[in-house]
Amino acid sequence: MLSIKNLHASVEDKEILKGINLEIKAGEVHAIMGPNGSGKSTLSQVLAGNEAFEVTEGEVTLNGQNLLELETEERAREGIFLAFQYPVEIPGVSNLQFLRTAVNAMRKHRGEEDMNAAEFMKLAREVCKQVDLDPSFLKRGVNEGFSGGEKKRNEIMQALLLQPKLAILDETDSGLDIDALKVVADGVNALRSPDRAILMVTHYQRLLNHIVPDYVHVLAGGRIIKSGGRELALELEEKGYGWLGIKDEDAADAPAN
Amino acid sequence: MKPAPTLSSAFLHPAGQSLPQPLLALRKQRAAALLGMPLPTRKTENWKYSARHLKLADDMAISLPAEGKTGTSLAVPGYKVVFLNGVMLPEASEFPDLDGITITSFSDLDEQEARELAGRLDHTLTPQSVQLAQLNSARFEDGLLIRLQPDAVLDQPLYIIHEVNADASGSAFPRIFVDAGRHSRLTLVEEFISSGSNGQAQVLVNAVTEFCLDEGAHLTSIRLDMEGDSIQHIGATGVRQQRNSRFESHCVGFGGALRRHDLQVRLEGEGAECKLNGVVVAQGAQHYDNHTNIEHVVGHCNSEETYRNIAADQAHVVFNGRIHIHPDAQKSNAEMNNKNLLLSNGAEIDTKPELEIYADDVKCAHGATIGQLDKTSVFYLVSRGIGRREAHVLLTMAFINELVAQIPVPAVRETAQTRLNQFFEATFQEA
Ligand SMILES: Nc1ncnc2c1ncn2[C@@H]1O[C@H](COP(=O)(O)OP(=O)(O)OP(=O)(O)O)[C@@H](O)[C@H]1O
Ligand SMILES: [Mg+2]
Repeated sequence: MLSIKNLHASVEDKEILKGINLEIKAGEVHAIMGPNGSGKSTLSQVLAGNEAFEVTEGEVTLNGQNLLELETEERAREGIFLAFQYPVEIPGVSNLQFLRTAVNAMRKHRGEEDMNAAEFMKLAREVCKQVDLDPSFLKRGVNEGFSGGEKKRNEIMQALLLQPKLAILDETDSGLDIDALKVVADGVNALRSPDRAILMVTHYQRLLNHIVPDYVHVLAGGRIIKSGGRELALELEEKGYGWLGIKDEDAADAPAN
Repeated sequence: MKPAPTLSSAFLHPAGQSLPQPLLALRKQRAAALLGMPLPTRKTENWKYSARHLKLADDMAISLPAEGKTGTSLAVPGYKVVFLNGVMLPEASEFPDLDGITITSFSDLDEQEARELAGRLDHTLTPQSVQLAQLNSARFEDGLLIRLQPDAVLDQPLYIIHEVNADASGSAFPRIFVDAGRHSRLTLVEEFISSGSNGQAQVLVNAVTEFCLDEGAHLTSIRLDMEGDSIQHIGATGVRQQRNSRFESHCVGFGGALRRHDLQVRLEGEGAECKLNGVVVAQGAQHYDNHTNIEHVVGHCNSEETYRNIAADQAHVVFNGRIHIHPDAQKSNAEMNNKNLLLSNGAEIDTKPELEIYADDVKCAHGATIGQLDKTSVFYLVSRGIGRREAHVLLTMAFINELVAQIPVPAVRETAQTRLNQFFEATFQEA
């Protein structure tokens, strides 16, 4: 599904990603962990196509297609979805209008007709319910005044609505209370399917109790320095990152192993 | 040195013959005063940014003929008065037939009424700041006097369609005077449109509307500036408010060769309040210049002003918001907010809040910002598969949504939205 080879990316001439290699197959769930500032969000944003980051080297393909050649919106239409670590507030655009425009853009890409307002409303209410968001959130501005947890649930709601091939979840678990974590995890598990892959960035093992990953990777200093099964997450929880030869403070400049 | 150009050519043609004597006399008096007035230059403080867009060719001196069919049949739900080239067309109009409300064209006033009106015209506007708009009083061919008796309530909005025909060069001087009695209520919608497609014709529209609100009167004024690109429009709206009256204004303006609108409000009775909303969009080489002035003459009055400007391409938008709190106007509450959106590097927006506060116990808040579309917001939208162009439209609309949504007449809101959509269509090209 997704193949990342020797990916380098910089922001404002500062290299953040220093050669990422990662293969994700359909049906798999991969977790990425790693110290603050190590480049996890950068990787997520680069995959989604944020132009603030410049790819200087390497290649990324989605089902054989060169992802780096595609505009952000084309990547989305090909099935990439990013749940933002910091979802953006957009006052003046209602959540409903936003979601409907997105769904119809995807449908148009697939050669399907626009979904009419009534049909869409029904669907939107359903996914709201799935993430325990009151449908009144549809009328509010996109993420406007949403609490941290509500924003995260709004992200998962969008994933459920858009049914991506590859869902990248950037710390969708942080800032959630215990019940909300369960709701979000259920949402993510509902997304799991043999033809879909999930890449989730997290700091906490507790999410991985709900969503059991097939692989866990440690990203430090812009490189993946260790990969393993789910037991790696437990090990990290117990020992921190120190035993891998990095310290939290200088994580961004950590050497490769 | 060449003598500075003046307005003298504007008075070469005799006109206004159908007006009653007192109004004709007023016209002559104003004309005499303006005859030698030099045209504003960029050194004229309140015309700094607009002077170079003012192009008064000689063939604009003549008034456009007050005849012919209106080019646009606007489906207006309710009462309407149609002006063509500054003169009312009774056959195209639908007047309300309600007690306490009279709508009379200036030409139909009797001598006594005309004398009274002549004594009241031009008292809502400060002459020094609306020099050019004053031309209207020297040139109007006709006008509309709207009188509301105390407690009169107009059950539906009254539309005034100001249409000019741009087939030939010339000018038009529509004039409205609204006299709102105690506790009366009215929503007035003014739509400025143009017909005719002769791109060569040079047309000036100089429209003046005045509102006098007696104690407790509630008046809503909605103004849509939608004339064709080539039209030069210089307009002014003057408002005087007595005790506990409320004036609400919603202006939506689309740019053109020259658009200049002065809105002046005088709060003269305690407890009076005004709310002024404005939206301007301009694209191509268009120009739009809004000057507003709120005078807190007495204390215990509220004013709230919110203007949003959008400039695309090489367009130029100007906003000048003055608030003047007089020495005795204690407990005044004035709020002004102006946000501006630049959609291209070639566009320009000049904004200037001017606060003059001479009383000490007042609340006065103001803020002005100029920015561009937020990149992070664009990224968020396109990351959901929304096209870049559509994302730009959504965000631009979001910038003014709140104000458009506040327009209290749904049909007008739709008209404005339709025109805004055309603006977006032309501004954001398909990638
Ligand atoms: N726009 C930017 N300008 C400058 N530096 C940036 C920018 N975006 C990211 N960085 C830097 O890149 C590095 C990696 O940031 P990134 O957000 O990818 O880290 P992260 O692994 O997601 O951290 P966290 O766990 O705190 O979310 C950091 O040092 C950050 O300061
Ligand atoms: Mg991050």
